[in-house]
Amino acid sequence: MIGSRTLHAVARRGALSALTLGLLSIVVFAGGQLLPGDVARSILGPLADARAVAALNHQLGTDAPPLKMYLHWVGHLLQGDMGMSYAYRSPVAPFILHALEKSLLLAAVTSVIVIPLSIGAGIVAAMNRGKWQDRLITLGGLSLTVVPEFVSGILLILVFGVWLRWLPISANTRPGTGLPEQLRHLILPALPLVLILFGYIARIARAGMVEALEADYTRTATLKGLRRSKVIFRHVLRNALLPTITVIAAQTSYLLGGLVVVETLFRYQGIGSLILTAARGKDYPMMEAGILCVGAAYILSAILADMLIALLDPRSQAAHR
Amino acid sequence: MTPLDHHVAEEFRAGRISRRMFLHHAARIGLLAAAPARAATLGRPGATIRVASQVPAGAIEPLTVSEIGGLVMLCQTAEFLIMDGPDLILRPCLALSWQPNADCSVWTFTLRPGVKFHDGKLFGAADVVATMDRLCDPKQGSNALSVMRGVLSPGGAKRIDDLTVRFDLDAPNGNFPFYVSSDNYNAVILPAGYDGDFEKTFIGTGPFKIEKYTPKVGASFVRNPGYWGRLALPERTEFSFYNDQQPQILALEDDQVDMIVQMSVQGAQGLLRDPDVQIIDFPAATHRQLHLRCDDGPMADKRVRQAIALTLNRPGMVHGLFQGRARLGNDSPFAPIYPSTDTTVPQRAKNIAQARALMQAAGKADGFETNLTTERIQEIPDLAVLVQNACAEIGIKINLRIEDGATYYGDAQFGRSDWLDSPMGITDYGHRGVPNVTLAAPYLSNGAWNAAHFRNSEYDRLMAGYIAAVDLTTQRDLAGKIERLLLDETPVIIPYFYDYIAATGPTVKGAMFSAMSQVFLQDASLG
Repeated sequence: MIGSRTLHAVARRGALSALTLGLLSIVVFAGGQLLPGDVARSILGPLADARAVAALNHQLGTDAPPLKMYLHWVGHLLQGDMGMSYAYRSPVAPFILHALEKSLLLAAVTSVIVIPLSIGAGIVAAMNRGKWQDRLITLGGLSLTVVPEFVSGILLILVFGVWLRWLPISANTRPGTGLPEQLRHLILPALPLVLILFGYIARIARAGMVEALEADYTRTATLKGLRRSKVIFRHVLRNALLPTITVIAAQTSYLLGGLVVVETLFRYQGIGSLILTAARGKDYPMMEAGILCVGAAYILSAILADMLIALLDPRSQAAHR
Repeated sequence: MTPLDHHVAEEFRAGRISRRMFLHHAARIGLLAAAPARAATLGRPGATIRVASQVPAGAIEPLTVSEIGGLVMLCQTAEFLIMDGPDLILRPCLALSWQPNADCSVWTFTLRPGVKFHDGKLFGAADVVATMDRLCDPKQGSNALSVMRGVLSPGGAKRIDDLTVRFDLDAPNGNFPFYVSSDNYNAVILPAGYDGDFEKTFIGTGPFKIEKYTPKVGASFVRNPGYWGRLALPERTEFSFYNDQQPQILALEDDQVDMIVQMSVQGAQGLLRDPDVQIIDFPAATHRQLHLRCDDGPMADKRVRQAIALTLNRPGMVHGLFQGRARLGNDSPFAPIYPSTDTTVPQRAKNIAQARALMQAAGKADGFETNLTTERIQEIPDLAVLVQNACAEIGIKINLRIEDGATYYGDAQFGRSDWLDSPMGITDYGHRGVPNVTLAAPYLSNGAWNAAHFRNSEYDRLMAGYIAAVDLTTQRDLAGKIERLLLDETPVIIPYFYDYIAATGPTVKGAMFSAMSQVFLQDASLG
């Protein structure tokens, strides 16, 4: 069970996370101010008349001093209002929530495929160290990791979407489409991500397994006469997966906010492309809210990973005491 | 008939202008109330046409829209006074006819009767006046202000009666109908009481009404049963938004969409060779301007500018960058498609010997080093490399600075813009039905886009004359003089004008595209 001290540690972590998000908001806002160009010119185009640009900046409130704009934005954010999009002239929140929901769904589908697959492959590689299975998994995984998403994505679309016609090439579905069909549309977009993450997670899982297999407690368990499967699942895996969990949690920000290429290729309205187009269009309220949401999701996943590690490894609980 | 009408008719009768030129000029001055009708043979009605289009970068607001995704949406439900087709011939839409006064400083438009907006309100002169006032008002944040500046001011459009509007222009303008046509994509006619909520209603008078619009995702439209003209053939149209060209191509090949509104050759080479796809390709005035700083540095000497222009292999660019889907440029905005272009002006061609001689005469036989700044968009980085390599042949070492669009344009004001302050730069310019805008701001001594810092009083005088010119003889005469002057001075190199390209599935018929990247689907059908 998670002890009260652990809960206290998590609460402290939560407070630190809030501070981190506050700092992130300052960094993101300041970064937005440093981007070249101005908001109205971005909307009206580079050749727009200077008077029209000034008038639109005034209408949008983007001619105010940066500090005033920041305080205005933070003030509303603390009241649960993410602000108004400059480009879309409507509240930011529905855009962010819609995109976040989409990204979470794609991340979930990817995770469901890649986590068991790569951990299983890591275990197989570790159990067959130095054999062809080990080489196939480690070298094959490494090779797949370096293939960019736009290459693997286009190849997968051409093979499974255009030639074989097994899977839809767009991740989008019509409103009202059932979950099974939605998931079918997400298989192709998830595969390039699986290819990228597989090698990395499998290598970490393999390394953790190798270390655990060589540990004294494993030798003791084996010498006690426990069955091989029992040794693996009860003693080795529990310890071997700790670094893997940390690595998987660290991929959250990538899986949520870093999928611009995949989202573009498969016409998917995730939060990655939302942030990118907002940054290009100087739509700061949209960009800032998007980045804060991804940051919050990353912090949350790190906390969850720590809690999971604490559950699996009593020593980490002891360290909190 | 006015004397101007007689003049145009006489030119045609005497064989001095072609039939196409006659139609173009006659339509411009309102001599033809009804130019040849479109889509003579109609396909089957009732289809749902699926379109791949760029994702609109912001709210669909007629006043501020400035990019393809947004302007494609505008013209689905809203209409213009006049339509400008791919052939640059104006056709009546909400205006039935238009007539200038003797010096083209006043234009009078007669509007189409019996037209209703989608909410049932009757269309009339008050709607036109309110729309034009909004477009010209410096306090409104209007994207069209850069086009309307010096042409029409707020209050310039006046209601004479319910179906007559008079435009009192800031200065005589022989091409004014183009400014209120589909050539000016912001100039869709909205109700007089419009209060800035276009995206909620897509209010207009057009053949389609909005069914659903989802920002960043897509839109669907349905036939407007109360349309003033022939009812639209498609029952529905569906637009899917894409961030990039590649997924659009894949969607067309996978039969998920019936057409792609606009494509560039770069990245579409496979599709352009696909026999199962119809490629829509027609000449346009879209071009790149390579400006050369005239007031400072080695290029202040026009012989150096001429030498640079003589290093370029223009036919090679047309074939290499566009697979032949472009026309040679001759260093002036007078594109081959413009009827007023003087085609007797000799075409500039690559001539390294002459270029070296000019460099020597300018005292630059050993060459020099300079920077070429430009934006990362479509083929422009490739063009910059070609210019770099070409100039190396005469000893000019060019350092490339390829930037994103926002950095390149900066604040778009002198002293605060890499575009306007760089010694050499490449800038993209879109299509226009007449060259007025691209002849003015990039070249006039006080031009807001004059990146070359070109100051030439003779040019300013010729340009003012061209804008005001009414009759064909004067227009062609002045066009020729401007072309020769720009060829001699070479403040800007225009190596090519590239075609407008769209693609449709094999069964699509009747879709009408414009070089402004608009698509009109009322006559579209499948099979």
